[in-house]
Amino acid sequence: MKYLSEYRDAEIAKALIARIKARATRPWTLMEVCGGQTHTIVRQGLDEMLEGAVEMIHGPGCPVCVTPLEQIDKALAIAARPEVIFTSFGDMLRVPGSDCDLQQVRARGGNVKIVYSPLDALALAQRHPEKEVVFFAVGFETTAPANAMAVFRARELGVTNFSVLVSHVTVPPAIRAIMEAPDNRVQGFLAAGHVCAVMGYTEYEPIAAQYKVPIVVTGFEPVDILEGMAMAVNQLEAGRHEVENQYVRSVRRLGTEPARALVAKVFELADRPWRGLGEIKMSGLALRAEFAAYDAETKFGVSDIKVTEPAACRAGEVLTGRLKPPQCEAFGTLCTPERPLGAPMVSTEGACSAYYNIAKYRTADADAVVSAPARPS
Amino acid sequence: MCLGIPGKITTIRDDAGLSMGIVDFGGVRRDVCLQYVQDEVAVGDYVIVHVGFAITRVDEDEARRTFEVLKEMSQLEELEWMAEVADESLKLADGAS
Ligand code: SF4
Repeated sequence: MKYLSEYRDAEIAKALIARIKARATRPWTLMEVCGGQTHTIVRQGLDEMLEGAVEMIHGPGCPVCVTPLEQIDKALAIAARPEVIFTSFGDMLRVPGSDCDLQQVRARGGNVKIVYSPLDALALAQRHPEKEVVFFAVGFETTAPANAMAVFRARELGVTNFSVLVSHVTVPPAIRAIMEAPDNRVQGFLAAGHVCAVMGYTEYEPIAAQYKVPIVVTGFEPVDILEGMAMAVNQLEAGRHEVENQYVRSVRRLGTEPARALVAKVFELADRPWRGLGEIKMSGLALRAEFAAYDAETKFGVSDIKVTEPAACRAGEVLTGRLKPPQCEAFGTLCTPERPLGAPMVSTEGACSAYYNIAKYRTADADAVVSAPARPS
Repeated sequence: MCLGIPGKITTIRDDAGLSMGIVDFGGVRRDVCLQYVQDEVAVGDYVIVHVGFAITRVDEDEARRTFEVLKEMSQLEELEWMAEVADESLKLADGAS
C-alpha cells in the first residue's frame, strides 16, 4: 500500500504541522468549506494539533445541512401524494422536517425511493408512465451537473411525468456572505477540492482580491488539509491573498467544462435561503424558464410553503462557526445521529455528526494520522 | 454526496446519444454517465463519480488512495446506498445495451 504511506505518512503530517507552527507568528483563523474536510479535521484532531497557530472554523459545506427546512417540508408534502414516486439521495431521508421526515412518510405509505443517480429517477419515470416521479435535486456544484443532465434528458426524451424539487446552492456566494458578516473572524479559506474539480476556481479569484482573503483549493486527506493550511498561513504571513491550488492532482483551473456548460444551460442563478445563513442573494440555482415544466414546486403547488427553523437547533451558529457543536445544549442528549434534531447531525458530512461520531478518537498525537481505528459500524 | 467516489470503467456504450458505462467501485458495479468526460476516457481508466456521473479522470494511484481514505473516513455510506440500488441500474443497463 505504497500510495497510502506516501500520502498519509505521519512523518509528512508532523513536518507540515511543525512548519505551520514555525511560520505562524500569531494564531490565524481559517475556514474549511467542505464537510468531508471537517470530518478529516475532527477525526484526526488536526485542529487540536495546531492549537495556537491555526483555529479551524467549520463552514457550511454539507449539502444536507444547509438545505432549508421549508424545502424539506415541500419534499414531504409532495412525497405524501398518492400519485407520486418521490426519489432522493439516501442521506436526505432522515433530515427532519417540521413534523416528520421522508422515512416516516414512507412508513405511512408514501412511495419514497432512494436513488443513487438522478438518471435512475428518470428511468423510473419512463417505466411508470402512470405515476409522477419527482427527484429531490439538492447539493452543491458536485451534484448540479447530474441534476442538469436528468432534466435535459427528460426534455430530450419527451418524458413529462418527471420533475425535480430544486434546492441547489453554490459555494462562492456563501464565502462572500461569511466575509460580509459584521462579526466575521475568518481570515482564510480552504475551498472544497471536489467542488472545484467540477467548476474550476476562476470564480474565487475576484473574491480573494475583493476581500483580501487567501483561498486555497484543498483536497480532503489529512496531508492535503495540512498542506492547504500551510499554504494559507504562508499567504497570511506574507500579506498575500490569492487563489492557490493544493489539489492539483484532481483540479484544473477551469474545472470540467462540458459539465459547467450543461449546468449553465439548464439552471440560472437565484436567491436561495440557507439553513443557518438565511437568504443569500444569487446563491443557488433554479431551473431556467425553458425547463419550467420540470419544476416540481409549481407542478404540485408547494411554492407557498414557508416555515421558520426550530429554535432548539443551533445549526445556524454551528454552520457559521459561532458555536462548536458540543456547545449546543441538545448535542448528544436531545440530538443524536439516531434521533437528529437538526440537519448537521444527520449527514456524515455534517459538523455535529462529525463531532458526535469521532470525538472519542481525538488525540493530539500526530501518529494518529495514520493509526486511528475505523469507526465501528 | 459531495465527495466523489473513484471507480474503474469496465464498459462504455452509447445509450441513445448519451455516453454511459459500467464502473467498478472496489467490487460494487453500477451504471454511470460518462458524457462529461467522454473525450478523455477509455475502458480501464479511473474516474471520480458524483451521484452517477463521472466528473474527473484520475490516475490509478490517486483513485486507490482516495478510495482507501473514504473507507477509513467511513465516508462510503454513500456506496452502501448506492449498492442497494446498483443492481437495478445494471438491469437497466443490460436492457439498454
Ligand atoms: S447538535 Fe443537533 S440541535 Fe445542536 S446544532 Fe447540531 S444538529 Fe442542531
